[in-house]
Amino acid sequence: MKFFQALGKIDRKIIFIILSVVIIIPLLKPFGLISRASSRAEAIFNAVDAIPVGKPLMISIDFDPGSMPELYPMLTAILRHAFAKDVKVVLLGLWITGMGLGEQALETVSHEYNKVYGKDYVFLGWKSGVLPVVLGMGEDIRKAYPADYYGTPLESLPMMANIKNYRDVPFFISLSAGTPGYESWIAYAQSRYGLKIGAGVTAVSAADAYPYLQTGQLTGMLGGMKGASEYEFLVKEKGYSQQSSPASQAMDSQSLAHLLILILIVLGNVGYFFTRKTISKGAK
Amino acid sequence: MNLAHSLWIWVGAFLTFCIFSFLYKDNPLYKFAEHLFVGVSVGYSISISYHNVLYPDLIVPLFKHGQLLNIIPLLFGLCYFARFIPQVSWLIRLPMGLVLGFGAGAAIPATLQASVIKQIQGAVLTPGIFARWDFFLWALISFIGLICTVIYFFFSKERVKSTKFAAEVGIIFLMVGFGASFGYTVMARISLLIGRFQFLLRDWLGIIR
Amino acid sequence: MQRTLPLAICFIMGIFMMVQFFVPHPISTNAYDIVLKWILIISIFALVLGVGSLTMHHTTKIRRKVSGWQFSIITIIALVVTAVIGLFGGIGRGSWLQVIFRNIFVPVNSTMFSILAFYMASAAYRAFRARTKEATILLIAAFIVMLGMVPIGSAISKRLPELAEWILTVPNTAAKRGIIFGIALGSIATSLKIILGIERGWLGGGRS
Repeated sequence: MKFFQALGKIDRKIIFIILSVVIIIPLLKPFGLISRASSRAEAIFNAVDAIPVGKPLMISIDFDPGSMPELYPMLTAILRHAFAKDVKVVLLGLWITGMGLGEQALETVSHEYNKVYGKDYVFLGWKSGVLPVVLGMGEDIRKAYPADYYGTPLESLPMMANIKNYRDVPFFISLSAGTPGYESWIAYAQSRYGLKIGAGVTAVSAADAYPYLQTGQLTGMLGGMKGASEYEFLVKEKGYSQQSSPASQAMDSQSLAHLLILILIVLGNVGYFFTRKTISKGAK
Repeated sequence: MNLAHSLWIWVGAFLTFCIFSFLYKDNPLYKFAEHLFVGVSVGYSISISYHNVLYPDLIVPLFKHGQLLNIIPLLFGLCYFARFIPQVSWLIRLPMGLVLGFGAGAAIPATLQASVIKQIQGAVLTPGIFARWDFFLWALISFIGLICTVIYFFFSKERVKSTKFAAEVGIIFLMVGFGASFGYTVMARISLLIGRFQFLLRDWLGIIR
Repeated sequence: MQRTLPLAICFIMGIFMMVQFFVPHPISTNAYDIVLKWILIISIFALVLGVGSLTMHHTTKIRRKVSGWQFSIITIIALVVTAVIGLFGGIGRGSWLQVIFRNIFVPVNSTMFSILAFYMASAAYRAFRARTKEATILLIAAFIVMLGMVPIGSAISKRLPELAEWILTVPNTAAKRGIIFGIALGSIATSLKIILGIERGWLGGGRS
């Protein structure tokens, strides 16, 4: 009886150590559990695939380094897909501290495909106030962004010559960690201008996105690190990239950590019920 | 093992351990990293704000192209600093009123369209769901769950027997929803920790590729 | 005047934005363009205000030698150095601001959020109890989704991912949709109250 009661009183520092070990071991010695793509990931993949040559994919970085392990692999996988298919890319963001991540991703991935700035991709950067950007680009992107992230006037970028507003953007992806995020794009850009939107979200808000998926307001969704690994799987399967897949490599650790949390919850409940039994026996 | 050659990676690893040290207890190393982060993040925001907004949207149009209409938002913006002058601190209400009115007015039609009308369209039982028995069953369950959840959130009237039962069914659906959210939240938090370990093992120690 | 003028501005701007949504006339769209530009510029000054407040808070701490004032010096120095580097050194590829961002900001920000995993594991162990029927339902749903959403779930049973998917697309969607309705109707009501001047908390206190 005392043993079962003790199950509910493990010191938290021991839990921290066990969690760390459970995560590190599969990183050092992977099991090779494969993450197949869900229909939600395939929907985004197919939408990017269907973008006509010369038309842009617009991606909004609505996250910061706090959500980087989940959303940054999505960003790099989507960029690799787009560049491999010669789809133009326009990158912007609603989170000011996400801009450095966008710059980092473009720097890394554009070199792999020999993409030229201004001709194959453009980085618009950040603007204050969410609505002036989201609504302004529906009328004229140049009015919302007179210059790009680096200060170059948009008129001087060859790629932007044929991109005036949302009507020239076949597909838009918001990689969001919270507010402002995909909900702002759906509420303002889609309801007013009919923009087709897909979303990559942190796992925290993935469950909240299902109503939008069901109504078709979202064309596909990548949820958390699992979603990132699904997209990496699709990009690799179709031969668009052979680069390392950090999200996919993490799924073994993710699996074991989930099992650990479940075991801890069970142990905690076992300890709680036996303690309660002892107290009620003592009271009698 | 292939230790990082770049000093900056070592800086990143050091700061990572400074934050991790909080797991043991609050300490000066953690406080140092935390305060450094606050300063860097504000300095970063200032830099991006100037290069991406202030310069192209205010300084260039107003001072280089002579678009004098931009004086109006400049004056409204300067009213924010009235907060530091007690005699005219009420002036801060002017830009706040403008921005709030703008946001509230834009939100009403957008929210109505995206979160109410579209969601009602998604919830309504359409002929398409009769194509298969399971489509129909799941759509019916979802519809009943939605009605019961909305009834649960109606607090302004006392519940009678039928609405009490519906509210209890609504709670069950809400608990399932929150359980699903919790399951996903566990994934999210673990992912963030995996990311840091990947940095330490791959970029810093070079143990994994 | 000190309360009437801001309320009037709020009302005019709110009505304009609501009406403009439905009016495609060039006068309306031109005014709309101007308003968007103004809001963009005004919004940036709110950030400047925030920076000023933070700086004042830390300089006051240093002046009064409040506990931990030495760390406030670090904050101020980091703020000034990063801002100067960014303002004069640029923000583009290869800039020193990018170096600071990648090697100081990213590690600290990421790690701060990652330690939540430890606290979440500890909290799940200590506090997640199946005390009531509702808590048990929550626990079971969480179990199924936690296992179904990772590869080990399909290794345990092919049914687990399907069951997790069903939970997410049927009962979860219904519950979240109900929450979306509640939030949407609440935000519409609050927005109307702000525009009509019924909600005046944003004006702050005082006779004026």
